[in-house]
Amino acid sequence: MALRMWASSTANALKLSTSASRSALASPAFSLARSFSTGIFAVLEGFKYASSHEWVKHDGPDHLGEVVFVELPEEGKSVSQGNSFGAVESVKATSDINSPISGEVVEVNTKLSESPGLINSSPYEDGWMIKVKPSNPSELESLMGAKEYTKFCEEEDASH
Amino acid sequence: MRVPRILEVWKMGVVNYSQALKLQEKLTSDRKLHKITDTLLSLQHPPTYTLGKRQTDHNILVSESELKAMGAELHYTQRGGDVTFHGPHQAILYPIISLRDIGIGARKYVEKLELTMIELASLYGLKACAGQKGETGVWVGRRKIGAIGVRISSGITSHGLAFNVDPDLNYFKHIVPCGIADKEVTSLQKEVQQILLPPEEVIVEQLISCYVRTFDYTDVVSKDISSISLDN
Repeated sequence: MALRMWASSTANALKLSTSASRSALASPAFSLARSFSTGIFAVLEGFKYASSHEWVKHDGPDHLGEVVFVELPEEGKSVSQGNSFGAVESVKATSDINSPISGEVVEVNTKLSESPGLINSSPYEDGWMIKVKPSNPSELESLMGAKEYTKFCEEEDASH
Repeated sequence: MRVPRILEVWKMGVVNYSQALKLQEKLTSDRKLHKITDTLLSLQHPPTYTLGKRQTDHNILVSESELKAMGAELHYTQRGGDVTFHGPHQAILYPIISLRDIGIGARKYVEKLELTMIELASLYGLKACAGQKGETGVWVGRRKIGAIGVRISSGITSHGLAFNVDPDLNYFKHIVPCGIADKEVTSLQKEVQQILLPPEEVIVEQLISCYVRTFDYTDVVSKDISSISLDN
């Protein structure tokens, strides 16, 4: 089993959980566990995620302002790494949200259509957006590990 | 030594909404691929009503055919924000810029667009301010002088701001502007009243300068596009 630890620092990191134990994930560190039988379910939160190819250090819930609208795909739809799967709106700005992995949307958080503000108030718990069954687990290899991620954040912060 | 930041300004005259959208899509894609630098479109639209991604068409108070009879178009867009009107003598800026390059998020970006318009208004002695929570835009008292609606895709912005220099404010009567029912829309001309404003091109130049300053560019390249066809 390959495990990666994610640093949460300034960002909502990609949160990955097995279908069995979502409660095993506690902030601030999240662990990715590869389960051979069920694949990996990715719970994407907020808009920051890590990828070695397309690093998006952009809006976290505090950077976005209050979210007033969330557009999410339907279950069964496929998403692909680096491409938009939905959008959020706050302060008169709609931001496309890009998927860090490719796969099939297996569940959509329907609470968000009535309560888009969950993304602000509960980014690590109730503000999750979609669950994706990865179609290409090797994509996960390319996502940054925590050490690289923290160093990346430090470098980014230093350059502004 | 400061990192150079170059802005290319396209001065475009009156541009049909669809054409402007198509152009922004192309520029957004080019900017994403680092083929171009930050680009600012400065233009006006013929009478056009637009809706944002939430499609709040309950805030349009007349039918689409009545709008057409007035000589206006209606467009559904992907930008944030509610319904608004664009028309001649309203100065529009569409920045197609990379937010990641300057390390800001959507909220800060919108604040800076507000500041841009607030600064312009202050050149005319007007004390404008950003809206209260949920009322993004630029206000003089309870009257809205500037509107904002943006789209961010992979960190690249499109759409932008609209500043009322002297548009026909009657057009706003047919909508609930930005979904805010109990406040008026105003313009620079209406606020300065008897004072004679300089020619519009001067005011637009000032708006662009306010933008350049607020966003801290080191170099500006201007292109006069008004006479060039957009169909290429």
